[in-house]
Amino acid sequence: MINKQLRRIQINDISKVFNTDTSNNSILLRLLSLFTGKELQKPFKALTNISLDAYDGENIGIIGKNGSGKSTLLRLIANIYPHNGKIITNGKLFYTNGFGLGFRQRLTMRENIYLVGLIMGLSKSEINEIFDEIVSFSELNEFLDTKVYKFSSGMINRLRFSVTIHCLEYKKPEIILLDEVFGGGGDISFQDKALEKIKEFIESNATVILVSHDMNIIRKYCDRVIFIHDGQIISDGDPEKTIDAYLTLIKKPKTPITI
Amino acid sequence: MYCNKPVNIIKTWRKIKKIIKVSISLAKINFILRTEGSYLGIFWYLLNPLIMFLIIISIKKYALSNIQVENYPLYLFMGITGFNFFKQALSNAITSIRSNTDYIKSINTLEPEVLVVSGVFQVVFSHLFEFILIIGFMIYYKIFLAGLLFYPLIFFFFLILTLGLSFIFATIGMYIYDFDNVWIILTQLLFFISPIFYVIKKGDFIYYFNLINPLFYFLTLARSAVINFTTAPLWIILGMFFFSFSSLIIGLLVFNRFKNKFTELI
Repeated sequence: MINKQLRRIQINDISKVFNTDTSNNSILLRLLSLFTGKELQKPFKALTNISLDAYDGENIGIIGKNGSGKSTLLRLIANIYPHNGKIITNGKLFYTNGFGLGFRQRLTMRENIYLVGLIMGLSKSEINEIFDEIVSFSELNEFLDTKVYKFSSGMINRLRFSVTIHCLEYKKPEIILLDEVFGGGGDISFQDKALEKIKEFIESNATVILVSHDMNIIRKYCDRVIFIHDGQIISDGDPEKTIDAYLTLIKKPKTPITI
Repeated sequence: MYCNKPVNIIKTWRKIKKIIKVSISLAKINFILRTEGSYLGIFWYLLNPLIMFLIIISIKKYALSNIQVENYPLYLFMGITGFNFFKQALSNAITSIRSNTDYIKSINTLEPEVLVVSGVFQVVFSHLFEFILIIGFMIYYKIFLAGLLFYPLIFFFFLILTLGLSFIFATIGMYIYDFDNVWIILTQLLFFISPIFYVIKKGDFIYYFNLINPLFYFLTLARSAVINFTTAPLWIILGMFFFSFSSLIIGLLVFNRFKNKFTELI
């Protein structure tokens, strides 16, 4: 249920420029680069004049090609990247870029659960409260004291997903920014379970902004979709129309974009 | 007019408490991981200072015979362990941010300060084992143990100093990737300039260099208290205070000024 009275995110005219690597420089600079090991850089405009508002309970999908500026936008909202414009967030905010937070291979599953919980801002007693749920959701109960380097990649993905999602559930953020988090890893039955869990979040009262290349997910869960191309918002609104515009661009890159 | 100063102070205090708590837990994990799967375990932490100690003690009779210090082995061991702590903590700080890209770029729940502080705390844990050896030396040489009571307090100021410098080093390490190599060279210089295996007398050429060397103040204070059970001159105590707090204040100011830009550099 969207509450238009409560604005959770307000972005006014934000642009973002990165310095990217280049080899198009003077010989002197290239020599300097050789000795210092520092790469030469040139400015790259990742986002241009972005403005948007997000309200309580709203589920917003962000779509666009790789390098269009989707992740940059989420990181700006999460205050991970610095900016000079105006971004106001109202509420506890959680951002994650995939469920891939670094596990330590030489620690046991139990120790890794505490480590990731800690990194996600939970205290030891709080992790204790959700510990059993994490283990049972991952279906790895019998490997609790096994070191993670002995796990298969599927098992690691299951564990990662389970820890992150339960910590997130415990923290109850009002704003959730999910950057390419879909696909919990593991076998098909676990993926279904993982999707179901994510669905619970998206359907909660939190404001969710999700970046995904999976249009089925975007169609299924988002009531508003933003299409970003070359750092600019091309379309912001109706999911079907916006997705169509994006798919047209993918199929016929030279066709002018119309909404 | 509504004043929210107390609220801010409480918020800041809570943030500091959280940073310290998470840093300690992370440092514990990294400390365990360093010895994980190793046959000698924590002995690896002691091996470096012990070997350095044995080398210097062996050559003292031939090359350093003019050094006349009471309880020289303890004097030397305290010098080596103090130096090792300083060197390793700052070395950890230089790479603390860039070796943990995941934690600051993929999630918004971890303060970057945690990575710097945990790197220092990790070395505090290994220093605790060295401290046990210091006690062993004192018992062996029949030195009055009461001086040890002052060591935690003196070490606390040394820790403050190291933390402050760590914030500065972590920031420099983000902009200058060669800085860890520079630090290796600087520590070699520091080892020979500081009174680790020799004694500095007032008026010596090297004495004046040491007036700006924070390690000199810590070693003088710690040795006075632990070995001689006496207080160091007041100017040494004030020097330690000055270096500790000024480095922490400058370190935090520098780190806070630049920390938002770190994510763009990695």
